[in-house]
Amino acid sequence: MTKEREELYEEKLERYVTAMENERPDKVPIRPFVAEFTAKYAGYSCQEVTHDYELAFEAVRKCAADFDWDAVVSNMVYVWTGLTQAIGLDYYGVPGIDTSPDTGFQYLEPPKEEAFMKPEEYDDLIENPTGFLFNVWLPRVSSDVSPVGEETSYRNNLSFLKGGMAMLTYFNSFGEQNEALRSEIGTVPAISGILKAPFDILADKLRGYYGLAEDVIKRPGKVRAACQALMPHICHMALSGADPEGKVPIPIWLHRGCSPLFSPEDFARFNWATLKPIIEEIWAEGHQVLVYAEGDWNHHLEAFAELPQGSIIYHVDKGDILEVNEKLGDRFCISGGLPNHLLSNGSPGQVKDRCKKLIDEVGRDGGYIMDASAIVQNDARIENMRAMTECTREYGVY
Amino acid sequence: MSEEMEQVDLEEEWKKADPKPGICIPWEEKGKELAEISGDEELFKRVWEDNEALAYTYIWQCLLSF
Repeated sequence: MTKEREELYEEKLERYVTAMENERPDKVPIRPFVAEFTAKYAGYSCQEVTHDYELAFEAVRKCAADFDWDAVVSNMVYVWTGLTQAIGLDYYGVPGIDTSPDTGFQYLEPPKEEAFMKPEEYDDLIENPTGFLFNVWLPRVSSDVSPVGEETSYRNNLSFLKGGMAMLTYFNSFGEQNEALRSEIGTVPAISGILKAPFDILADKLRGYYGLAEDVIKRPGKVRAACQALMPHICHMALSGADPEGKVPIPIWLHRGCSPLFSPEDFARFNWATLKPIIEEIWAEGHQVLVYAEGDWNHHLEAFAELPQGSIIYHVDKGDILEVNEKLGDRFCISGGLPNHLLSNGSPGQVKDRCKKLIDEVGRDGGYIMDASAIVQNDARIENMRAMTECTREYGVY
Repeated sequence: MSEEMEQVDLEEEWKKADPKPGICIPWEEKGKELAEISGDEELFKRVWEDNEALAYTYIWQCLLSF
């Protein structure tokens, strides 16, 4: 690494970390969660960056080199469909097969009656979550994996071999990508590891949203016990992938466990009661959590305010960012708040106006990171991403 | 606050988990299948659990990340 790149990396890391500690850095850091936008900018299709992760890595590096951003996700098009095909996972809409080559990958949720976990199977999940996932869940979500007790197959055997080898190869390649971002470009890999809420996982991958909505009424004790049983495993996974230096946060994408999708009481007894202890444990182990509050979580800001000061970075999607700042701004760093529709349909001037407003009203005392409201896909206009970057660099100086 | 609204004790859940996080088949279960171990059992256990962690990571990453 050249001295110049090393100094640039350290400068950006210092800026990013200072903001995440809710302090005032030299400038407002820029950390856009760019996904399919990277493909558009680098001249690739969604299919290409989703199915060939080396192209995805290259597209991220090209963006990082050309835009003056402080931190980026090493590959925000994180689902490598080569891996999911190797395992035989059926719940993806794959660009170039199920969607057009220029549409990002999709999650396909089955109808309620075909949920990946049946309502009568809660006890099996609770007793041994890992065994349930291997023996019951995986054969249902993979067209190649045979159910336990049924005849095995060539494809079953290959699924585990190819899936295991491919996953190891993919994860190991992030080390090289992160090193290239640092030494060749001087940009900070923004996050490390993965966290999901137990309640969200029940909805996303096991019971489905409609099934879970029914379960919280018909079998609430089972829902809560299942969330509890998932907790140690989810916490273990989050910590096992965390940044060893504790500088960049573990992200959690909050999905559908909030009001008005669920009542405030259900949020409290199922979601928050089992998520909050995990975040507290992660904080006790020396790591922040980046709470990516997809949708509008402003009904629950009082709950987030209960967390230890500095333990999270709160990312705002559709919630009122001024209200977030008022209720959480003295405790946590805030990011986001630049609407994606402005990036895709607005003008550079409108983008700059919004950035100035965010800097003036949310970032005035530090503790703010510039980012779009949601993941930036290929509908964002390149000139608008430039406008966000230039405006933040020019106007966001403390 | 009613009991069901209270937050859960993660440490208690950790104690209840069987097998523990990071493990699919505990060494104690595998050990029963083997002849008497004359060598260093801790070495066998450590390497067994290292490989267990790979299998565990595989399925939990499928659930959480993919």
